[in-house]
Amino acid sequence: MIGKRKRDTTVVSRSKKDGDREESPAATKSSAKDIFRKFFEAQFEPLGIQSGAGAAQEESGFGSGFESDTSENSDSESEWSGITGEDNENVPVEVVDYTTTSTRADDLMDKRARKAFMTAKPPSFSTDLTSTTYHSKQSKDDKGDRDDEELNLKNDLALQRLLKESHLLESASELAPTGKNRHKALDLRMQELGAKNSLFHQKNMPSSMRKGIKAKAASKDEKRRREARENGIILEKPTPKSNSSRGRRERGVGGPSVGKFAGGTLNLSHRDVAQVQSSRRGGGNGRERGRGRR
Amino acid sequence: MATSQPPIRLTSHKNFVYRLVFSTLTGRTVHISQIRPSSPTNPGLAPHEISFLRLLEAVTNGSQMEISYTGTILVYKPGLITGSAAGAGAGSSGGGVIRHEIPAGCTRGVSYFLLPLCLLAPFSKAPIKVLFTGPGVITSSTPTGDMSVDSVRTAILPLFNQFGIFNNIELRVLRRSNPGPNGRGGGGEVQLVFGHQVRLPKTLHLMNPGKIKRIRGVAYCVGVSASNNARMIDVARGILNPFVPDTYVFSDVSSAPLVPASDRNNPSAKKKTGLGFGLSLVAESSTGCLFSADVASPPSGGQPPEDIGKQCAYQLLETISKGGCVTTAAFPTMIGLMTMGSEDVGRLQVGRDIVGDESAIQLARDLVKFGAPGWGLRDASDEEKTGDVIISVVGRGIGNVGRKVA
Repeated sequence: MIGKRKRDTTVVSRSKKDGDREESPAATKSSAKDIFRKFFEAQFEPLGIQSGAGAAQEESGFGSGFESDTSENSDSESEWSGITGEDNENVPVEVVDYTTTSTRADDLMDKRARKAFMTAKPPSFSTDLTSTTYHSKQSKDDKGDRDDEELNLKNDLALQRLLKESHLLESASELAPTGKNRHKALDLRMQELGAKNSLFHQKNMPSSMRKGIKAKAASKDEKRRREARENGIILEKPTPKSNSSRGRRERGVGGPSVGKFAGGTLNLSHRDVAQVQSSRRGGGNGRERGRGRR
Repeated sequence: MATSQPPIRLTSHKNFVYRLVFSTLTGRTVHISQIRPSSPTNPGLAPHEISFLRLLEAVTNGSQMEISYTGTILVYKPGLITGSAAGAGAGSSGGGVIRHEIPAGCTRGVSYFLLPLCLLAPFSKAPIKVLFTGPGVITSSTPTGDMSVDSVRTAILPLFNQFGIFNNIELRVLRRSNPGPNGRGGGGEVQLVFGHQVRLPKTLHLMNPGKIKRIRGVAYCVGVSASNNARMIDVARGILNPFVPDTYVFSDVSSAPLVPASDRNNPSAKKKTGLGFGLSLVAESSTGCLFSADVASPPSGGQPPEDIGKQCAYQLLETISKGGCVTTAAFPTMIGLMTMGSEDVGRLQVGRDIVGDESAIQLARDLVKFGAPGWGLRDASDEEKTGDVIISVVGRGIGNVGRKVA
């Protein structure tokens, strides 16, 4: 900060020190014209216009080089006297300073650029000076966008739920299910999120009851399909029956590996007996081996 | 290590730091002999080289180094690059920051240590945090040819971005210092935080130097009037502004650092050191290539800031005129990262003078010694007839050997 202030003051003092401030822009303008003129003359033939005081050459070396250039290019041109060495000796050498005044750089941008550059981090050159305000505005816009996005998402979710659960609603005035219906809606959502079965699924019940429920569901479905077929309505294909009875049932740990344990007795069916007798590597062998080891 | 390969035998003190860096990265033992054998006054390793060995010892675990009596022979057996992991390394105090003290007789700038350390850091196990301190830290550019800390931060560290290494990299200049009397010592303080570790750096294809679009710079003065900064900036801008209007040079003014100068009468005496000023300029091209220039006032003084500003601006123009996508100063870093990259061909366009430089050729020879495949060189086929050369570097695809050995 202190360095910054000091630098400012020095700049100010310099501009005061210049004194002939009104003259310097004119000088630079004329010198710019001078450059253009030189370029033109190097390409074509010298112009007859006499240059002003500001168009004096900055160095004798440059002047002489220029002169040799012109002499090479146009020997016959007599009206162009050129800048001779004697002239340079007589006229005091004027130094034209091409330094542009730094007043153009506004302080705010300077400060921002300084902040971006003079950090401990390696400066990321990607941030442009001019686009900083744009960035801040854009970020504000971004925030508004984000809010909108959030609201849209919320509305979308509410609509989806309404569509899925509207059959539970009793009246059109109430858009959120209450009481028992709320539980049902929750159950639906749970299933949608991947629950294995419904919250209302009763795990244990008499088998006759379960059979009855299954039979009722099957008959309902069958009736629906039949009516649809009669009316010529095409329904979805019936889901394949899951044959869960086939194959080996998952048994609990600690249960008998053979036979059926019920009422405190192990019942062996004929099949079980045959299996035990037929197999070489039945339970008996293993048990004997285990005892021997013990 | 299961198989012990014979050490790589190298001679002379040239390219010392990069030899040790590549040794550490590849895990090969090096045997460097004939280190300044013919110098009658101070043969063997110089103080800054010893200091660098200490730094390597601090950031690695299990590295062994043997130095002969005269210091002309060094055997370095690298260990694992652990970085500033807690419990490992040197300084466990202060949040795993390694304090590295540089002795007073050091003539090299701190960038001499920073550049190789930055090349090691991406392959470290933990983030590398090193605080350079002590009576030998010179943050400015030096007459021995080291760049300033500002140039390291603004011209070297952004290059890591091109290899996919950009997170949590900081280089804090806590205290500035120019070289002290006779160019020896300083009193600066610099902290490097390199917190982005990768398995393998990305393959680089950099073949378009682009056009210069902006120039930034830092003018620093230590213990002298801030007007020196303004004068340097004024002249440098005067030269550069006609080429690139987007030229900003920032000024940083700091007071002189105090280093302990204890004598018999007053054991707690301190003296000011490292007075001076300097300028660091960085030009950025439209394709993200960086060119830097550095000039600081000589330790003997006697050069006006206008001259420094002018020299620095001309140096920047010269660096840009050499062409290519990298400067001589950034060349080892770029090539090192490309060599350590994945097993793929990376390409880099460099100026003819840069690849023909003595240090570049030395680097190429050393890399071949370390088992890297040779570079493929061909002329850049561009319309502008810049005479640039495209170097094709095949990565070794090993990343950090030390990590695997662990």
